[in-house]
Amino acid sequence: MAAPSVKAVRGWSGLALGVRGVVLRLPGLTQVRWSRYGPEFQDPQTDKEYYRKPTAQLTEEEKYERELRKTRFIKAAPATKTSSVFEDPVVSKFTNMMMKGGNKVLARHLMTQTLETVKRKQFEKYHAASAKEQATIERNPYTIFHQALKNCEPVIGLVSILKSGRFYQVPVPLADRRRRFLAMKWMITECREKKHRRMLMPEKLSHELLQAFHNQGPVVKRKRDMHKMAEANRALAHYRWW
Amino acid sequence: MRERSGTPNFREVGRERNYGRQFESTSCSLETLRGSSALYSAGTMLKGMTRLISRAHKAKHGEQQEGQHYNIPHQDLKTVFPHGLPPRFVMQVKTFNEACLMVRKPALELLHYLKNTNFAHPAVRYILYGEKGTGKTLSLCHVVHFCAKQDWLILHVPDAHRWVKNCRDLLQSTYNKQRLDQPLEASTWLKNFRTSNERFLSQIKVQEKYVWNKRESTEKGSPLGDVVEQGITRVRNATDAVGIVLKELRRQSSCGIFHLLVAVDGVNALWGRTTLKREDKSPIAPEELAFIYNLRKMVKNDWNGGAIVLTLSQTGSLFKPRTAYMPQELLGEEGFNALDPFIPILVSNYNPKEFQSCIQYYLENNWLQHEKAHTEGGMKELLFLSNANPGQLERLCAYL
Repeated sequence: MAAPSVKAVRGWSGLALGVRGVVLRLPGLTQVRWSRYGPEFQDPQTDKEYYRKPTAQLTEEEKYERELRKTRFIKAAPATKTSSVFEDPVVSKFTNMMMKGGNKVLARHLMTQTLETVKRKQFEKYHAASAKEQATIERNPYTIFHQALKNCEPVIGLVSILKSGRFYQVPVPLADRRRRFLAMKWMITECREKKHRRMLMPEKLSHELLQAFHNQGPVVKRKRDMHKMAEANRALAHYRWW
Repeated sequence: MRERSGTPNFREVGRERNYGRQFESTSCSLETLRGSSALYSAGTMLKGMTRLISRAHKAKHGEQQEGQHYNIPHQDLKTVFPHGLPPRFVMQVKTFNEACLMVRKPALELLHYLKNTNFAHPAVRYILYGEKGTGKTLSLCHVVHFCAKQDWLILHVPDAHRWVKNCRDLLQSTYNKQRLDQPLEASTWLKNFRTSNERFLSQIKVQEKYVWNKRESTEKGSPLGDVVEQGITRVRNATDAVGIVLKELRRQSSCGIFHLLVAVDGVNALWGRTTLKREDKSPIAPEELAFIYNLRKMVKNDWNGGAIVLTLSQTGSLFKPRTAYMPQELLGEEGFNALDPFIPILVSNYNPKEFQSCIQYYLENNWLQHEKAHTEGGMKELLFLSNANPGQLERLCAYL
């Protein structure tokens, strides 16, 4: 992975209403991951409880925030963001990462089948276990999913830094979102590439998730390998300048 | 959403048919023949019932039990349902370690009619129809289980669509050169038939001599079990064995040794189109398949001593639009004429009481694991997303 590219400074949107104007260009830097919305746009609030709170119970800041939202522009909510009580941003992100060619229907179907398979496997184990063990068996597929991904997140990562004509693998702290991304990416890649071709994705994924939940399996092994490499290259930490 | 009127409009004004009851509702003739009462034997069937909130006492299946679940013991599952349960229900049975069916109005209506059948009259045809996922197959299974408990002979064809598509080997029939045999499907069906009706196979005797080939034949007066064994061991003659079984049962049902229940799921397959082709790529019509030809004769009401319960199904059907659910649309002209005097029974989505009962059942079994699913908002959302459709609700709750 190359050194992270510095995001260019945001453009000034004084004239046009929210549409970006000319961006300040610095030599040698290209802007990546930007949005057409200006900085004054607020994110959409889809939480029903937020709107149901009676006015008497609001604190001063909340009242101020509500007044502010009345005057500001609000971004359009994406199609995947709903006010459903069952919505989970981690599950949505994982579904998006599994999606190929924009086929969200298939990706969502695979995700729901995975959760169902995890649940059924755990129920089988529960019915086969004795009364004492039954208390330890977790049957909620969502807790298993979250815990498994948490167990796969690396704490420290490696970055290739070019110094005097050679690339060195330097240990570097990772941002939260990078860690979550890596966990999900490793999980999906493991299931896609290392398993038998005829095995279906929900089956593979459920197996891997259950293994990661118990801190076993190839994805957790990959995380530990990453940690060991970082530990081994401890001496190169000085090459990092940020 | 398609608007459904109270009394579905089956035909144009010209044709006049009486769809009312064709039998008297006087005392059932079961008692004279069977000796036991027409209700379930309560004692052995009740499991150790610690969870009683939504469970029905099996002895009484009346109006007050509507919406409650009743349990089918595992032993019964193996004998009565070697085939015939929908695959998602089989998964649920495996996960929960119990088979619980909800008692619903269409099934109750059918059971009432069956309890009052007059076995001297020709067999009455009942057709369960409804939109996709409303519970037609499970209502049929409920009725089949009831009749099995009453010691009827069950002729259960789990999914007629499986016979008109995806068939690997088709042999030219030895009995009739124009027709085609399906050895694999016929032999599996015979095995399941044997499992569910063991006790009758030795009692019923064949009334004709059947010659299979130069060396094998079944004599007159030998038990029906022999024909079934022949069909299972000699897979080439399996379809003919099925035809013989159907013919003998039809002939002998009026004698009064047994009551015959013909239960066919997806009966619209018998009069639709097939996706099967001969070696020269010419399409095969359903009547050219020997099994379909014999089954059509079975579903005609020219025999007495039992009942015929049928289900329409769009799910496995070929060349029918997804929104079609009425008998006229799914059966077509030919099929409708063939089945014409029948009693239609509409199976619809859950009413609020049944919906609550279903959710209660899932909560009792801890199937709804999501924290928000237990809340008021969660249940309202489930109702909205599934529209009280039993199939959709089951699929939603599977991953929550």
